[in-house]
Amino acid sequence: MQTGTDYMAQATNAVIAPFNWLGGLFVAFIRELGAIAIFFTHAFCLIFSLPLQVNKTIQQIFFIGAKSILIILLVGLFTGMVLGLQGYYTLVKFGSEGVLGAAVALSLIRELGPVMTAIMIIARAGSSMAAEIGIMRISEQIDALDTMDINPIRFLVSPRIVASLISFPLLTAIFNVIGIIGGYLSGVCLLGINSGIYFYRIESNVLMQDISGGFVKSLVFGIIVSTICCYQGYFTHMRPGGFGAKGVSLATTSAVVLSCVLVLIVDYVLTSFLL
Amino acid sequence: MTAPLIELKNVTKRFGNHTVLDRLNLTVFEGDITTIIGKSGGGKSVLLKHIIGLLRPDEGDILINNKRFKEMTRKEQTQFKRQTSYMFQNNALFDSLTVFENIALPLREKTRMREDAIKSKVMAKIDQMELSHEVIHKYPSQISGGMQKRVALARALITEPKIIFFDEPTTGLDPLRKNAVLGMISHYQKKIGFTALLVSHDIPDVFFISNRVAIIDNGRIIFQGKPIELEQSENPVVHDFIRGQINLKDDLTGLNTKQEVMDLLNQEMDRANRLQANFPVIMFTIDNMTQINKHVGYITAQRIVQCLSTLLKEHFGAAGTSARFSQNEILMVLPHTDIKEAEKDLNELAVDLQKQEIFQAKSYPKACLSFSVSAGLSETKQGTDTDSLIGQALSNQKIIAHVECIKQGETA
Amino acid sequence: MKKYSMETTVGIFVFIGLLCVGYLTVKLGKMELIGGDNYTLYARFDSVSGLRPDSSVEIAGVEIGRIGKISLDSERYMALVMLKIRKGIQITDDAIASVKTSGMIGDKFIKITPGGSDSILEPGGTIVETESAVDLEELISEYIFGGM
Repeated sequence: MQTGTDYMAQATNAVIAPFNWLGGLFVAFIRELGAIAIFFTHAFCLIFSLPLQVNKTIQQIFFIGAKSILIILLVGLFTGMVLGLQGYYTLVKFGSEGVLGAAVALSLIRELGPVMTAIMIIARAGSSMAAEIGIMRISEQIDALDTMDINPIRFLVSPRIVASLISFPLLTAIFNVIGIIGGYLSGVCLLGINSGIYFYRIESNVLMQDISGGFVKSLVFGIIVSTICCYQGYFTHMRPGGFGAKGVSLATTSAVVLSCVLVLIVDYVLTSFLL
Repeated sequence: MTAPLIELKNVTKRFGNHTVLDRLNLTVFEGDITTIIGKSGGGKSVLLKHIIGLLRPDEGDILINNKRFKEMTRKEQTQFKRQTSYMFQNNALFDSLTVFENIALPLREKTRMREDAIKSKVMAKIDQMELSHEVIHKYPSQISGGMQKRVALARALITEPKIIFFDEPTTGLDPLRKNAVLGMISHYQKKIGFTALLVSHDIPDVFFISNRVAIIDNGRIIFQGKPIELEQSENPVVHDFIRGQINLKDDLTGLNTKQEVMDLLNQEMDRANRLQANFPVIMFTIDNMTQINKHVGYITAQRIVQCLSTLLKEHFGAAGTSARFSQNEILMVLPHTDIKEAEKDLNELAVDLQKQEIFQAKSYPKACLSFSVSAGLSETKQGTDTDSLIGQALSNQKIIAHVECIKQGETA
Repeated sequence: MKKYSMETTVGIFVFIGLLCVGYLTVKLGKMELIGGDNYTLYARFDSVSGLRPDSSVEIAGVEIGRIGKISLDSERYMALVMLKIRKGIQITDDAIASVKTSGMIGDKFIKITPGGSDSILEPGGTIVETESAVDLEELISEYIFGGM
């Protein structure tokens, strides 16, 4: 009898185990999201606590925004040029290469601008945000702030969120414009589309709705990237299995991966709402 | 004695299954330098972090001015926090800010002082800490470990706190700087009058500056009281602990430890009593230590101690066993000599000492200071005890080497 | 000084960014900086299939305005189109509004053919004479029979 019940229990366990694992994973994920949301709310409210941290925010805009201009210009230009080439060879099959301008501009403004900009900033500034805050955590600098009665979230995270909210839309706009110029270079200068038609098509097909939708996306991405990268760095010491430098490297990796994935998922969700 | 400022009652903290603090009791009095010593990993830093609220106890209470910390309102907690400073074991300087910005940060963030007022205050602190003005625009990683410590100390002192916590302030420093930092802490504590709580394992150097000592072992306080009480403690656990932790030689001077010398003294006095053979002891004192600290720096002050001890070893060699008795006192026991010989050696030492560069007034062209070294001989007699022997030596003290203040221009 | 250069860089960055935002919103998005340089007319069509808000309104191939809201007139089951015409361009009450296509499969726009009447339409007025969107089939047959 004993073996009978044992056998039953084992069988039940085998059935339950995967659900158990899945449930555990899901609960952990939701918990993490909740913690990130609380972290963001905290940091966001502290943006408005007086005195405003103007200098620190400018420093962060310098770091997140101004220093990213070159890479954004480069990536934007080539994205636009590739779009021009690809678009041309696809459209020429239908004899409608005239709408190339619209194709390039719409794909840039609606999708590629915000997403590519976000991914470039994650790679450039997001990773260093996570690493910098992570190192401050493990070398007790965050504790030091705490002992000086300086709120570390206000001091470290809030300026970065504000700077991201300012930098993301601006960089996205720069990316869009330079991308349109890139499309012009390959479409008009290389492949010989009429330049007037190129811009005419852009102007007649791009709606305010597209542009504002693109900016809404870039604002949301700004919040996601800055919050997740700061969060990962801030709680470096809570990571299981990684201490010290190892912990910082893990935090940086997961900050980059998580924010890239979330940017793409949220992009899909936003697009389906905005369209 | 004043009322207890901070009291820990039955504080317990566990990390997982590991109990770090086990029903720990500790009292810190206002205006004292209290030192917590213990083995590394014994929960000393954890204890400090509990008091400033970085960690919360699983059980037990922390009382501040007789008020439970967890029952204090947020405002009261903030107010307590503003009166404290914390010096971290690895300094925790902000490595993306310059030295100047690091020291100025607490003022910039927490006060409404004007920028030029902040600047003059920071520069004054930098001067006090003997940091050169070239350092201020460097980043913490560009300066030496000793300088980093001083910057951290400056940052801790800049807000003029009432309580300062020092988490291993001397770790990783050479013996000279170690004693200089301790001297600095003691000096400012006397001057400003803050309450200091130190965590350290620099025994015995740290005893010289402490008013109270607490020993933490296996998460509990096994002793707390004055350093003298510690030395006289009969508790075998405490005794073993001190024996185990203490270095065989004093790092700074290369002299024997105080405990050893006191043991030797007791032993020799017993022997002397039995054999009726008297022997001398000499007590050296460096006077005006505060003035040296103030005018030429903590490191120079420690160098004088070092110089004196080197000469002691040269002149007395194996005949004498000596130890640092306190910050500015050295006790020497000469068990196999008589007082005549000791006096002769002492005179030779005096001549030699005065010749040292460090005792030449022109070594200190910028400062006007006077200090001296005194020595006092006394001999054991039938029935005297150690205390009266040392007391007598102190009262017999005569100046053996001195530096007089010279006004600039007179000698040049 | 280092600080100066950082702030300058930020300034340049923000300036360039705002310039790009301005180009996108004003030039491409046709954002009306000051709302007052248009007036509104209405026109009813049997069919406006293919016409989108914000398409252009032209006279003789020159853009004179944009299309606003497109709604259904539920009484007559006709499309009611709001036309935002640039101020200073006067439309007479006998003008004809027709839905046209640019190119073979291009965008739809509204072409206004001016009339000869003396009375000018007030803002909020309605263009009575309209021509609906041309069927592609119709267009092809016209092409085949050489009507174009």
